Amino acid sequence: MSRQNWYPQANLARREMLRGGAALGAVGALSACSAGKVASAGPAPRRPYLTPMRVTPDQLIDMKCCIRPVRAAGPNLGTQMIGDTLVVHNYGHGGSGWSLSWGSAEVAVGKALSVLPSEIAVVGCGIIGLTTAVVAQRAGLKVTIYTRDVIQRTRSFRAHGSFTPDSRVALSAPAGAGFGDLWEQMTRLSWKGFRSMLGLPGDPVVFQDAYALSDAPPVKKHHDADPAIKGAWEPGGLPLQESEWAHFMDRIKDLVPDPVMLPTAENPFPVAYTRRSSEMHFNFPSYAHHLLTEFYQHGGLMVMRDFNDPSQYGQLKEKVVINATGYAARDLWRDKTVFPVRGQTGWLVPQHDAPYSLRYKNASLMAKNDGIVVMNNPIDLGEMFGVGDSMELADPAPILEVMKIVEPIMAGMKGIA
Amino acid sequence: MKRISKLTLAGALTLAAVPAYAAGTANGVYTEAQAAEGAAVFAERCAMCHGKQAEGTWEVPALKGKFMGNWGRESLAALSDYLARAMPQFAPGTLEPKDNGRLVAYLLKINGHPAGAKPLPEDHAALAAIRIDPLAATAVK
Ligand SMILES: Cc1cc2nc3c(=O)[nH]c(=O)nc-3n(C[C@H](O)[C@H](O)[C@H](O)COP(=O)(O)OP(=O)(O)OC[C@H]3O[C@@H](n4cnc5c(N)ncnc54)[C@H](O)[C@@H]3O)c2cc1C
Repeated sequence: MSRQNWYPQANLARREMLRGGAALGAVGALSACSAGKVASAGPAPRRPYLTPMRVTPDQLIDMKCCIRPVRAAGPNLGTQMIGDTLVVHNYGHGGSGWSLSWGSAEVAVGKALSVLPSEIAVVGCGIIGLTTAVVAQRAGLKVTIYTRDVIQRTRSFRAHGSFTPDSRVALSAPAGAGFGDLWEQMTRLSWKGFRSMLGLPGDPVVFQDAYALSDAPPVKKHHDADPAIKGAWEPGGLPLQESEWAHFMDRIKDLVPDPVMLPTAENPFPVAYTRRSSEMHFNFPSYAHHLLTEFYQHGGLMVMRDFNDPSQYGQLKEKVVINATGYAARDLWRDKTVFPVRGQTGWLVPQHDAPYSLRYKNASLMAKNDGIVVMNNPIDLGEMFGVGDSMELADPAPILEVMKIVEPIMAGMKGIA
Repeated sequence: MKRISKLTLAGALTLAAVPAYAAGTANGVYTEAQAAEGAAVFAERCAMCHGKQAEGTWEVPALKGKFMGNWGRESLAALSDYLARAMPQFAPGTLEPKDNGRLVAYLLKINGHPAGAKPLPEDHAALAAIRIDPLAATAVK
C-alpha cells in the first residue's frame, strides 16, 4: 500500500462510523458505503467540508514579531569553562527551535551528566531552556532555571510553531558534513517527544491537514546557486543566497507523511491545484503549561535574573550550567556567528470550526488553538527573507496584504460534493 | 532527589562491602587499540539498537552522555558483568569475553575517558577495583 493511501477517506469514514449511529445518520454521504465496500473498491471521491476562515481585517487580534537565532554552523552544543563552572551551550536553533527542542536538550543534558552533577542550572526559559530543564529532571537532576523572562514572554512564543526541523537551521558550508547526522538524531528524538504529547489536554501538539493552493501545477523547489552571486557567508557575516542553507528533510522521509494532490472532485478551494499534507504543530499556551507543570512538579525552581556577562555564570552555586539564551547569546556570549532572521505573524480570532492550514501565493494561514496564525512569506525570497534584519517591531501591513489575497479563496470555497 | 539517594546508597555500599577503588577511569585504564576493536564490535552487535553514534533513541538508552548518568561511579566489573549477562538484549550472554572487554574500552572512550598504556585487565577482581570516574569538567566536549 503506497503512502498516498495511508490517510484515505476510507479511514476517515470508518472512524466517523465507529463514533456511533448518531454520527452515521448525520453524515448522509457516508451512510451509503459499508466498511466492506470501502475496503474493496477504494474510497469514493469526497470533498472535505471545510468551514471558510474569517480573514477580514477586523479579525486581526494580535501581531508578533520575532528574530530567528540562526547560527551559521547550526546550534551551539559545545562546552566551555567559566572559572570552575562547566557551561554547556544550547542556543542558535534558527527557525527550528521548537522542532529540535527535545533532541537538542538530550544532547546538552547528556554532556552535563558526564560530570555526574546532582544539580544544574539552566539559563533561559524559552522552548529550548524549558525543555532542557524538563529533560534534565527526567534524568534525575535537580534543576534551577535562571531567566529574564518565562516562556510566555520569550521569542519562542512569537514563532509560528510547526514541525519545521530544517528551517534555517544552518548554512551547509560552516555546518560541515557531520551536522546532518546530529540533526537527524535530534530530529528523530524530538519527533518521539512530540508523539508523546499528542492527545494531551489542551492539545499541545496536533496534526492537521494543510492545503497548498496554486493556480499552476506545483513545482518542487530547487536551491541551485546563482552563479552571478560571488562569494558566500563569512564569519560575522550573512549568507548571500538561498543555496547556502542546509536542508535535511530527505533524511526523515520515513516519518513525515507524503503530500497528495487532490483530484478536482475533492478540491474544496476555487483554485486549479490543491495539495494536501499533514502538518504537525504546537499550541504554545498549552504546551508551555504542560512543560511548566512538569517542571514545578519535579521541584524545579525558577529564578528571575538578567545576566550581563558570561562571568556571572561562574558565580552561580550550580557548577554545571546549560546556556539556552537564544538570539540573546549573540550579544551575551559575543557569538558573532549568530545572525538574525526576522519574521512576523498576525493572529486572527481562533476559529475552532476551521481546523486546517492553507498556503496560497505568499500567504500562509494555520489554525491553532490560540488563533489563526498568518504569515506573509515571499516565495521568491524563500529562506533569505528577513536575513540580517533585527528590527523586532511588528508591521501589520504585509499581514493585511496576504489576508486580502486569501479573502476571495475563502469566499469561493465549495461544500460537500 | 532520586539520583542523590541512589548515589548515597551506592556510596554506603561501597564503604561497607568493597575495598576502596584502586583506580579510576580518569587514569587511562584501556588502550586505543582495545577501543578501536570495541568500535568494530559495537558496530556489529550494538549499533542497530543504540545507534551508529551510540546516541540512543527515545526508547533505547544512549551509550554516551546519559550513559554516564547511569553508570558513573560504578565499577567496571559491574558494567562488564551487565554486558556479559544482558546484552545484546535480543541474544543475551552471547558476547565473547574478549569482545566484552573491548566494548567496555570503547564505551569509556566515547564517554571521554582517556586511553592509557595498559590494556583493561581481564581479571574480574581487578575490574572491580576500577571506578567509572565522573569526567573532569574540562574534559567535557
Ligand atoms: C517568525 C518565526 C517563526 C518561527 N517558526 C518556527 C516554527 O514553525 N517551528 C520551529 O521549530 N521554530 C520556529 N521558529 C524558531 C523558534 O522560535 C526559535 O528557534 C526558538 O524560539 C528559540 O528558542 P530559545 O529558547 O533558544 O530562545 P528564546 O525563546 O529567545 O529564549 C531565550 C531565553 O533566554 C532568556 N535570556 C536571554 N538573554 C538572557 C540574559 N541575558 N539573562 C537571562 N536570561 C536571558 C530569555 O528571557 C528567554 O527566556 C520561528 C521563529 C520566528 C521568529
